[in-house]
Amino acid sequence: MLAQQPPSATAQPAEPAKLEMAISDDAADPVPKFFTVPQMAALRALSEMLVAGAKKAGAPEFLDFLIGASPEARQKVYRDGLDALNAAAKKKYGRTFADLDVSQADAMLAPLRAPWTFDDPPDSLARFLRAAKADVRTATMNSREFAAAASTGRRGGGRGLYWYPLD
Amino acid sequence: MPSKDYDVLIIGSGASGGMAAYALTKLGLKCLMLEAGPLVDFERARVPKAVYELPYRGFGTPGKLPHILQANEFTENQWVDEKEVPYTHDPKTPYNWVRVRMVGGKSLFWARMSFRLSDYEFKAADHDGFGENWPIRYADLAPFYDRVEPIFRVSGRKEGLAQLPDGVFLEDNSPWSESMNAFIGAAKKRDIPVTKMRRATGQGQFASSFNLLLPEAMDSGNLTVVPNAVVREITVDRNTGLVDGAHFLDRHSKREMHAKARAVILGASCLESTRILLNSKIANSSGALGHYLHDQTYIGQGVQAIVPQAKDGKAPRGYIGGGGYVPRFVNLKKGNEENFIRGYAYDFSTGGSPDPKYIPLYGEELEKAMASYRGAGVSVTIMGEVLPRYENFVALDPKVTDAWGIPVLHIQAKYGDNEQKMCKHAMDTFEELCRSAGFEILAKHDQAFPPGYSIHELGTCRMGDDPKKSVLNKWNQSHDIKNLLVVDGSSFVTGGSQNPTLTILALALRASEHLAEEMKAGNV
Repeated sequence: MLAQQPPSATAQPAEPAKLEMAISDDAADPVPKFFTVPQMAALRALSEMLVAGAKKAGAPEFLDFLIGASPEARQKVYRDGLDALNAAAKKKYGRTFADLDVSQADAMLAPLRAPWTFDDPPDSLARFLRAAKADVRTATMNSREFAAAASTGRRGGGRGLYWYPLD
Repeated sequence: MPSKDYDVLIIGSGASGGMAAYALTKLGLKCLMLEAGPLVDFERARVPKAVYELPYRGFGTPGKLPHILQANEFTENQWVDEKEVPYTHDPKTPYNWVRVRMVGGKSLFWARMSFRLSDYEFKAADHDGFGENWPIRYADLAPFYDRVEPIFRVSGRKEGLAQLPDGVFLEDNSPWSESMNAFIGAAKKRDIPVTKMRRATGQGQFASSFNLLLPEAMDSGNLTVVPNAVVREITVDRNTGLVDGAHFLDRHSKREMHAKARAVILGASCLESTRILLNSKIANSSGALGHYLHDQTYIGQGVQAIVPQAKDGKAPRGYIGGGGYVPRFVNLKKGNEENFIRGYAYDFSTGGSPDPKYIPLYGEELEKAMASYRGAGVSVTIMGEVLPRYENFVALDPKVTDAWGIPVLHIQAKYGDNEQKMCKHAMDTFEELCRSAGFEILAKHDQAFPPGYSIHELGTCRMGDDPKKSVLNKWNQSHDIKNLLVVDGSSFVTGGSQNPTLTILALALRASEHLAEEMKAGNV
C-alpha cells in the first residue's frame, strides 16, 4: 500500500475529463447506396409492417449498409426478395409494394404466417421475408432510438462487454 | 546465453495443459509452458458498451467469423481469427472449428458442464460391438475425477445412475419448480431420469485453468509460462529417437526460438495438438493420427415448448424456472434396443422466452404473442454421441499456411446415418415428454449444427493397447516416442454424450502423475 500523501490545498484529483460522445446516428443521416430506389421503398414499407418503429429507428437504412457489406449470398436473398415482393405486388394489384394499402400488403406477407421449418423455404420471397423478419427486428431493437425509448416501456437491445482486439 | 533445460515442455495452457502443469510442478518437475495467445488482463481487454455503439449494431462484422456461431459482435475478438489461422474443408461438409488463444484457453469460456464418463463409454465396444474400447475402465479414472471435482467446485446431486456416475459434489439441494416437476413426472412414467445440472462453479468469474490450476503451479516455483509462443513443430533427437523440445514463433514478431526439455506434453486442444504432430511428422506409425474425429451432435432448440400456465405472466411464484439434465437413457440394457446405437442427453431449462422466429406472426400480433410467451418458454439442447469413424479425419492442407507460415488443417467430417436416426429419436422423445407434461409445442426440428459446433472435438490421437490401431497408450503416452504425451481431448476413444472437459482434466492429471513416476524411475 502506498504511504498516505500529505493533504495539499492546491492538489487537483487526476481524474481525466469524461466526455460524452455521440454516435453518428444521433447527428447525421445515413446515405443508402446498396438497394435500388424501388427496393429501398419496398424495404421501408415492409420494415414498418414487421416492427412498429422500424423506420424511426433507421432500420431500413441500416440494413442497406449491413447487407451491402455482407457476403454475396445474403445480398442475393435481399435483392431477389425485394424484387419478388414488388413483382408480386404489381402482378396482383398493379402497384409496387410500397403503394399497396394495408390489407393488400398483409396479403403479400402470407409466407410469414406459415409454421416455422428448420430449412429455409425454397421460394425466394418466403426466404427473404424470414430473413427480414429477424434482421429488421434486430436492427430496430439494437438502435439508439429504441434504447432511448426503453424507459417508456419498449424493449431495446442491451449492453455488453465489448472485447478489444487482443494485445 | 545458455539455453534452459526443463524437465517437461507443456504446449497449451487450457484445461489439459493447465492440469499437466498443476500435477507436475507439485511433484517437483521443472516445467516450461508455451501458450500461443497472450495473457489477458480482463479489466483492460473488455469495456461495457451499448449495442447501438457497435459498428454493426450487434449483427457482427459481416463474414468475419463464418464458422463461429457462438460469436457475437461483442465477443468477436475473443476467438481465433479465421483469416489469421485458417483451416479448410469441402464447402459441402462444413466444420465449425472454434478456438481461443489466451492463457487459460477455452477453459476461460466453457459452459462448465461437468460429467463423468462411465463404462458405457469406456467399454462401449463390449456393449454394442462398434469400434474400440478404451484401454482403461471407469474404475481407473474414478480416483482422478474424485480429485478434479473439488478443484473445480462441481455442483450436483447424487443420483445413483450407472450411466452418469456421481462425483464429489457441492451438494445441489435446490427444489424443483412446479413446471420442472411436471416434466420430471412425465419422464418418470417412461423410466427416464432427470438430474440436476452438474456444473463447475469455480471461483469468482472463472472456472478455468487460468485461476484454478496455473496460480498454484506458479506458486510452486517450478513453472515458467511464455505467452504469445506459437509452436510449429516438436523436435526429435536423432540419436535417441526421443523428443527434445519444440520450435516456436513469437506471435508478434515471428522471431523463431527453440525450447528444450526432457519430455513434451501436448495440451493444445484436440486439433491443434494433432496439427503440431502432423507438422512434426512424428507419432504416427499406426496411421491413426488425425483419424476418428468425433464430437457430439448438438441440436439447438430441438423442441420449443411453452408452459401454458405461465403465459401472460400468470405463473405464480415458484411455478416456472430452473432446468435439468437428462443423461443417456437409450440402449442401456442391450446395445441395440433402438434403430441406432449409443445415446443422447438433454440439457433443458424452463422460464425463458421463445425466439420470435418460432412464432408465425409479425408486427403487433407478434409483439402480443411475445408478451404472452415471455418467461413461459421451455428450451432444450440435444447432445448426441457421434461414432468415431476412420473416414472423419484431419490432415495437413498442402497449399495453405497460417500467419506464421505453419501449414494448416484440412478437416473432413460428416455425421452419418446413426447420428441422424438418433437426432430424430431425441427430438420425438422430448416432444412426447413435453406433451405428457402438459406443455404446448411451438416448433421442433432434428437438424444438428455442423460438426465442431459443440467445441468438443475428440479422437484424433486416440489411445489404445494396440500400437497398430492407436496413437497413445493408456497413459496418454505416444506408442512411438515414450517421452511424448498428448493429454487433451484428442486421446478419447469414444466420447459419449457428456461434455468432455471433466474427463480431459482427470486424464491429464492421471497421465501427468504417471509421467512424473516414470521420469523419477528413469524410464523416461
